[in-house]
Amino acid sequence: MRNELLHVFRNTPFGRETLMHSVYFCKETGTSLRVYIPKFRQFLMYFEHEVVTVDLDRAFLRDPGTAKEHAEAIIREGGLTPYFIEPKGFTASTLPDLPVDYRYMTCPRTISNLSTKIGLGYIGPRVRNIIRNASFPVFIPTSVYKEWKSVVVFFGGSQNAIKALRYGIEISTVSGFPLLLFTQGEGKHRSYYEEGIQKAGLLDSLKTLNYKWLFFEKGDFRINLYEVPHNSLVVVGAYGHGAVREVLFGSKMEEIQTVLPNSMLIVGPNCAPVLG
Amino acid sequence: MRFSIHNLNERLQLILIGAVVGVGGGLASVALNRSLEWGAEFLHPYRHHWYSFLLPACGAALSTLFLFHVARDVGGHGVPEVIYSVTRRGGLLRLRSSFSRLVSCCLTIASGGSAGPESPVVISGASVASNIASFFRLRDRQRVVLVGGGAAAAIASIFNAPVAGIAFSLEAILGEWTPTNLITIGVASAVGTEVSRLLQGNQIPFEGEPFIISDMDLVGCLGLAVFTCFASVFLVRLLRYVREVSSKTISIFWIRAACGGLLVGLIGLLLPSVMGEGYGAIRNCIGYTYGPGLVLAGLVVVGKIVATCLTIGTGGMGGLFAPCLVIGSFTGLFYQRLLVHLAPGIHWAGEPYFALLGMAGVISSVLQAPMTGIFLITEITGGYQVLVSVVLVSVISVTLSHIFEPFSVYHQELVAHGELLRPRTDRRVLSELRITELLEHNYHVVHPEMRLREFVELLKRNEYHFFPVVDSKTGKYLGLIHFDDIRSYLFDTNLYDSLLVEELMDPTVPTVSLDDELPEVLEIFEQGHDSTLPVVHDGRLLGLISKATILDHYRRELIVEEEV
Repeated sequence: MRNELLHVFRNTPFGRETLMHSVYFCKETGTSLRVYIPKFRQFLMYFEHEVVTVDLDRAFLRDPGTAKEHAEAIIREGGLTPYFIEPKGFTASTLPDLPVDYRYMTCPRTISNLSTKIGLGYIGPRVRNIIRNASFPVFIPTSVYKEWKSVVVFFGGSQNAIKALRYGIEISTVSGFPLLLFTQGEGKHRSYYEEGIQKAGLLDSLKTLNYKWLFFEKGDFRINLYEVPHNSLVVVGAYGHGAVREVLFGSKMEEIQTVLPNSMLIVGPNCAPVLG
Repeated sequence: MRFSIHNLNERLQLILIGAVVGVGGGLASVALNRSLEWGAEFLHPYRHHWYSFLLPACGAALSTLFLFHVARDVGGHGVPEVIYSVTRRGGLLRLRSSFSRLVSCCLTIASGGSAGPESPVVISGASVASNIASFFRLRDRQRVVLVGGGAAAAIASIFNAPVAGIAFSLEAILGEWTPTNLITIGVASAVGTEVSRLLQGNQIPFEGEPFIISDMDLVGCLGLAVFTCFASVFLVRLLRYVREVSSKTISIFWIRAACGGLLVGLIGLLLPSVMGEGYGAIRNCIGYTYGPGLVLAGLVVVGKIVATCLTIGTGGMGGLFAPCLVIGSFTGLFYQRLLVHLAPGIHWAGEPYFALLGMAGVISSVLQAPMTGIFLITEITGGYQVLVSVVLVSVISVTLSHIFEPFSVYHQELVAHGELLRPRTDRRVLSELRITELLEHNYHVVHPEMRLREFVELLKRNEYHFFPVVDSKTGKYLGLIHFDDIRSYLFDTNLYDSLLVEELMDPTVPTVSLDDELPEVLEIFEQGHDSTLPVVHDGRLLGLISKATILDHYRRELIVEEEV
C-alpha cells in the first residue's frame, strides 16, 4: 500500500475547497497527494471482490484546460509537490481504471450525483460503495475548507471501531493533534471498552498520546455529539455490523454524518489495518 | 451457505457454482430472445410504411441513449471488456453490464439494425457469473473460470449449441484449455443449454436437408476458404474504419448512431436481407428458398458487411456472430452459384452445403477461433456429415486471414492498448507480480557530502554492491554507486580526502517507479544493460529491484500457475 491519498479533482470553487482539505490532510498526516483529473465521465476501481463504477457529474469534466493549472496552484500553495495520475489500464476506451492501493481517498459527500447534494445526512451511493469495498479509509471533508486541530475517534467496541482507533492513533501521533475518544456507553461499563482496547494492543499507544475519553453513560447520542469539538477530524468505522443489523437497528455512522458538520474519515469493513 | 460452499473441494465448488452460472447465462439469453421476438412483432406493422427506413436510426439512437444515460454504461459490444477483465482484473465485471447491453441490443436489432444478439448476451452471462463469484467470495482464479462459464452458457443457450459455447469460451475468452476450465465451463454450458431448451424448446436453429458430397466438393471448399477469408478481412477492416471516421466526424454519440442507422435503413430498402440479425435470410440460404441470382447474392454479402459496420461502428449495440453467419451463408451461396456457372458439367453439392461452410469460414476468421466456428456450424445445423469440409474451410480461412489480420476482432482493441495478455505468456505471468513485492533492501544509503575515505571504511564493514545516494536534507534520491564502477578509485589513497560520493555516483542510472509494469522494467534493464535499478517514487528511494529477483519470482509464479 502506498502512503498516498487519492483525490479526484473537480475544477470548480467547491472542488477547490475539497482539494484544500486534501492538501491539509496530507500535510498533517505525512501523506503524499495524488490527484486525478478526469478526462472521461466515469472511472472504475477494481477492489478485491467488487468493481465500483464512479459516475462523475459534469462539473468534474468542466474546463479541462485550466484544471491542472488550478490544482497545481492549490497544491503548491499548500507546500506540497503536485503529482498527477494518468490511468494505465482501460476497461473500455472511455473507461479508465484507477489503482486502489492508496492509503486514503478523498471523496466529497457525493461525487456521482449533483454537487448540490452536499448537505448533512447525505452520502452518495458511489461514495458508500467505495467505503464498503475499499482497503483504505475515505476522507469526507466539510464543504467549506476548515482546518482541524484534534482527532475524535468514535469507539463502540467493534472490530471496525478498533480499526478506526488505529487510524486515529496514527493520525494523532503523526500530526501531533490531541486524540479524543467518544463512546456512548449503551448500558456497558467503561471497563468493557478498555478491555477491548487492551486486547487489540492499543492501550499503551493511547496512554502515550495522553488522550481524553468522552464517555457517556447516559443521554441521547445526538445531544452528546455536541461535545465533539467543532474543529476536529472525526474518525469512525462504518458498515461493520452487516446490512441486516444496520437496517434493523440503524447505523452510528449515519447518525454522526447527519448531525456533525466536521470532516470525517470513514473506515469501511474491508479497510486494511496496515499502518506505520 | 457461504460457509458450506467453502468447505467443499475446489473443483466441486466450481461445478456447483458453475451450474448456477449456467442458469443465469441461460436466462439472460432466453430473456433477450423473447425481447427480440416481441420487439420484432411490435414493429412489424410499421415496416410496410414509407418511413420504415427511419426505424433503424430511431432504434440506434434510443439504444445509445439508454446505454449512456439510463444504464450509464459505455459503448461497444462488451466481449473485449470480458477478456480484459479475465486477463487483467481477476474476472471482475460490473453488475450493470448484466442487463445494460441486453436492453440496448434489443432496441438496435428489433428496429432493424444489422447486428447480432450474441456478444451482448456474452457480457451479460459473464457479468452474472462474476457477481455470483464475488457473492461467494471466490478467489480471482476461480472467478475467471466462472466468467468463462457464464460466457459459454450464454452462447450455448442462444444457439442451442453447448459444445460451441465451450469452444468459444476457451478459445476467445480464456485462451487456454485446462481440465478445471473445461469441467466448470462444460457444466455451465450444459445447464445454460438445458434452461434454453426448457423455456424455448429443443430446436436446431438452421436444420437443412442431407447432402451428397463428392470429392470435387472437397476441392471446391478450398476456393470457398479464400472467399470467406476476404469477406472477413473486409468486414474487420471496414468496421475499424467506420469506427474511426464516425467518432472523429460526429461527436454526439446518439446522433452518430442514428446516422449509422439511417444509412442501414436506406440499404435495407434495396436489400431487405441485410436488416436485423438475419436469421431468416440464413434459413432461406439453407432451405433452397433464396430466389435471386448470383449477382444479388454477392451484393447481399457486400451490403451486409457495410450495414453491419455502419450499425456497430457508429455505436449501435450488438455483436458480430449473427452478421458473420449471414455474410458467410451468402458468401457460400454466391460461391456455389459461381461454381455452377463456371463448371456446369460438375455435379456440385447443393447451395446449403456451401452456405454452411461459408458460415464456418467467416466466423472462424473474424473471431480467429476455428474450433468455435467448426462446432457452432455443426451444432446449429445438425450437419455432422459436413464436419470434414467445415474443418477444411475453417482452418484454411483462419490461416489466410491471419496473414492480413493477426488478431481477432475482439482482441484488436486490447492489443492497441497493450492489454492483451494471453495465459502462460511472459507478459501475463509478469503482470501478476507487483514491484512492491520485488523490492530489495540489501543496500546502504550514503550521502553526497561523504568523503571517499569514509566510503571505503563503509565498504570494509559490509558486502553490499550497490549504494544509493540520497540527499541528507531533503531525503531525495540523487544517484547510485555500483562497487564495480568505482574499483579504480579505491586503490588511490591520494583521492581519499579529495573525492566526494557526489563525484562517484552515477546520476544517470535509470530509475523504476511504482507505477511501472514489469515488462516495462525489463525493457529498461535491457536498454541499459543494468542488473539492478533503484525504485524511486516521488523522488524518494523505496528500494532496489534486480533482474535476479524478477526471475526468481517469475519462476515461482509459473510454479503456482502449474499447480493451479
